[in-house]
Amino acid sequence: MSRKIILYTLRTFSTTGGIQKMTRTLAHSLYHIAKQQQWDFKMWSLYDSPYDLMTQYLTHDNFAGFSRSKLKLGIYTLFKAPKADVVILSHVNLGLLGLVIKILNPKCQLWLVAHGIEVWRPLSFAKRKFVQRFCDKFICVSSYTKSQMIKWHHVDSEKCTVLNNVVDPFIKHPDEFEKPEYLLNRYSLTPENQVIFTLTRLASSEQYKGYEQVIRAVSRLKYQFPKIKYILSGQYDSTEETRIKELISACGVEKQVILTGFLNEKELADYFLLADLFVLPSRKEGFGIVFIEALTCGLPVICGNADGSVDAIRNGELGTAINVNDLDELEKTIAAYLERPLTVEARAYLQSRCLDYFNEMDYRKNLLRLINDELGA
Amino acid sequence: MISKKRPIEDIREKVMAMCAALKHGGPDDEGIYADEKTGLVFGHRRLSIIDLSQNGHQPMADVQQRVWITFNGEIYNYLELKAQLQALGAKFHSNTDTEVIIQAYLNWGMSSFSKFRGIFAFGLYDVEKKLTYLVRDSAGVKPLYYYINDCELSFASEVKALSTAGIAIETDPVWKVRFLAYGHIPEPYTTLKDVHSLPKGEFLCWDHKKNSHEIHSYHVFAHRTIITDTEEAKEAIRQSLNRAVQRQLIADAPIGVFLSGGTDSSLITLLANQQKHANLKTVSIFFNETAYDERMYQDLVLKEIEGEKFAHLVRHHDFEEFLPDIIGDMDMPTTDGINTWFISKYAHEDGLKAVLSGVGADELFGGYPSFTRIKYIKKMRQMPTASFAAAKYFTSDKYKKISFLSYNHPLADYLLMRGHYTPTDIATILEMDLREVESILFNNRQVPAITNYNEEDASWFEINLYMQNQLLRDSDVMGMSHALEIRVPFLDEDFMQLAESIAPEVRFDETQPKKLLVDSFSDLLPRAIWDRSKMGFTFPLQQWMREHKGINDESFYRGRKAKSLVKSFKKNTMHWSKIFALYQIQMHV
Repeated sequence: MSRKIILYTLRTFSTTGGIQKMTRTLAHSLYHIAKQQQWDFKMWSLYDSPYDLMTQYLTHDNFAGFSRSKLKLGIYTLFKAPKADVVILSHVNLGLLGLVIKILNPKCQLWLVAHGIEVWRPLSFAKRKFVQRFCDKFICVSSYTKSQMIKWHHVDSEKCTVLNNVVDPFIKHPDEFEKPEYLLNRYSLTPENQVIFTLTRLASSEQYKGYEQVIRAVSRLKYQFPKIKYILSGQYDSTEETRIKELISACGVEKQVILTGFLNEKELADYFLLADLFVLPSRKEGFGIVFIEALTCGLPVICGNADGSVDAIRNGELGTAINVNDLDELEKTIAAYLERPLTVEARAYLQSRCLDYFNEMDYRKNLLRLINDELGA
Repeated sequence: MISKKRPIEDIREKVMAMCAALKHGGPDDEGIYADEKTGLVFGHRRLSIIDLSQNGHQPMADVQQRVWITFNGEIYNYLELKAQLQALGAKFHSNTDTEVIIQAYLNWGMSSFSKFRGIFAFGLYDVEKKLTYLVRDSAGVKPLYYYINDCELSFASEVKALSTAGIAIETDPVWKVRFLAYGHIPEPYTTLKDVHSLPKGEFLCWDHKKNSHEIHSYHVFAHRTIITDTEEAKEAIRQSLNRAVQRQLIADAPIGVFLSGGTDSSLITLLANQQKHANLKTVSIFFNETAYDERMYQDLVLKEIEGEKFAHLVRHHDFEEFLPDIIGDMDMPTTDGINTWFISKYAHEDGLKAVLSGVGADELFGGYPSFTRIKYIKKMRQMPTASFAAAKYFTSDKYKKISFLSYNHPLADYLLMRGHYTPTDIATILEMDLREVESILFNNRQVPAITNYNEEDASWFEINLYMQNQLLRDSDVMGMSHALEIRVPFLDEDFMQLAESIAPEVRFDETQPKKLLVDSFSDLLPRAIWDRSKMGFTFPLQQWMREHKGINDESFYRGRKAKSLVKSFKKNTMHWSKIFALYQIQMHV
């Protein structure tokens, strides 16, 4: 039976973050499912323009970018959404549209992707009504997010399905684990330097990522590990730049910390190879797609123990979760990793375990099963 | 060229054909190196400027033949690097900068790339590691085009080398769209399918064992401290620019300066005179058309100069006579470079092998109108994009360009400031679907999103798009067509880094273009030079092209739209660069 699926998103290709990466993989999976099942699949993006589309994920025929025109998206919705069998909203901020779709087409299955902090808090009246009364299913990226959905919005646990994020199908999986020479040159490092790496958005408005704690930990560890370096990557605004630089000099780690700014996506895997340890002791990761990206390159990870990250490390099988407020614990855990660096075999093993758990093929199967179950195929 | 599939004789023949196609830029010598086992042949045409002896013959290797190189350009700091390498025990057998690259690579590996200060593009074959590197300078002055197809790699300094040797023969079906929009073909694209230019500051590493490649930046990360004090900035500019000029005057062959009469070339001329005195030759151009005659300003500078002064008159007649040669020398279609072609021709006739030019100051210090206009774009960008779509119905070019704002893409902002034809016009001229034109122009995100719309963003656009794709490419190709190397002190790596580390409120001034640069050299630059409206290095091309029999011949143009554009050019309601673009397109229809 032919089905029509529409994926609504806010901004997926014109910027890069965890939510964007998850949505790209979701779109890619839906695109392939639809092709195999001969269904009709469309992705509509409110903020992207048609030129932003990365055509490796899906084709122009399946994509419409509305370049911020809410009016145009509204018109599309009025005319085309009533025919859809499944509508997936990639963000709770599209809730109002969800209300409209459900009024126009009460039979359609309306799903919402629940990522992280955007749903771990009280919602506005309209969004709350939408979540509690109109939404048929919640795709939660982690068990933690599922528990938060139940806690904050009292949604039926039956309606929540945990579908962990998976590794982007287009990220490079290295088969050798040497540190890339060009990156050693770029940062004037030698293979003997022990490199800790963090990749996250550095925004003054999001002070929960925990890299301040890592900077403090490095200031203690530099005596035990004189060759330690901390590469802190990700786009930052000028307020945050000033704040971080002040912290760096207050901690006396100007020689250890390297602030790289935005990283080129095509070099990302090489940064994971350059590092000996990935650390992001964040308090509010919905899932933490960056952890599985690091693991795909055989890089061990340290994450926080009080958010969705624990799903990404399979409750400790693939990495170590720590109490992010406990600086001593962070320091000890980093030291333990640096004292016993992973062998090439161990890195390869970590990589293969991660890909076993978080690969797109299984994701696609689960997604297809979910659609068929709900539509009663 | 690198290929495991072809017999070595076949590769050698292709490389020799490439060398023949590039003979104009390297009249002094030719060399070929072939490694049959690896399936690699390097070719080289030499323009000798440093160590004019046979010691400079290329492709060159070290004594043990561990590394082979074919190199185009100059390493200005080669003497400093040579001293460092000698201290490490390296032995030298020539006075060339080429040998310094080889020894630097042998001692420092690929981290040597970031130590070079200069204008360069080279291919370097590491025999032991079975790797070949293609490396291009960080300011993108010297070109390097490469073609990868079916496990083969070929590269050259001009696109036509690859096509005349029969290596890359398929044309890129969409180059005309880009050309009509930009007035040139923007990097990394070319007129040939799958032939790309290597991005500046990057290297390509070819692994002979795997027949695969990677491209990365060789830039070395450094913490930047921002200069917020005007006096400190001025002092740093004086020191750094002096050093850049001094470095770039290094040559064993005759060297000179292009003098147009504008601020930038005057400044370079005056600084170079302090170093070279009587040995500095200047080349300038003048016209019979009084509106374009800059001799008054040139003379203000020339009276301070001790060396030989060459001034040449360019007549309408010369333009008519040489236009076919100019178009033939372009390598790829472009709407600029006629001025550089002429002055390079004269510099060559005056016996020069290298000249300094003033390119780069406008981009770094805010010498263009775009630095103020970009703020208006910011305001317009806050309005809904759809409201600008109607602008395409305007007949006046100035207003029609506003329709670029209906595209939510940073390149649309650039094209609004610097573009030639709008997508609607391009679609009509080329008889294409508008949506196809739009997707060719805006289908990628190689350009970072701009959000602030301030002077730094304008500078980014000017440096990375206009200067890179138009000014630098044209200068190099036109200079090389007369065996002349054009050097650009303002783009010295250290000087550029300095300029970019000056806080925007100090670096740019809303009331006066390039104020900080001018103030830094107020004791040297005559006031009359900078205190006037911007002229640029401009030829009377509007008039000359209107009188040119080919360009204004309607019957030469295909399609109604093109013919009507010629009419409006004849009525003088259109800029010459637009008709010149259209004229060149006709040659390829």
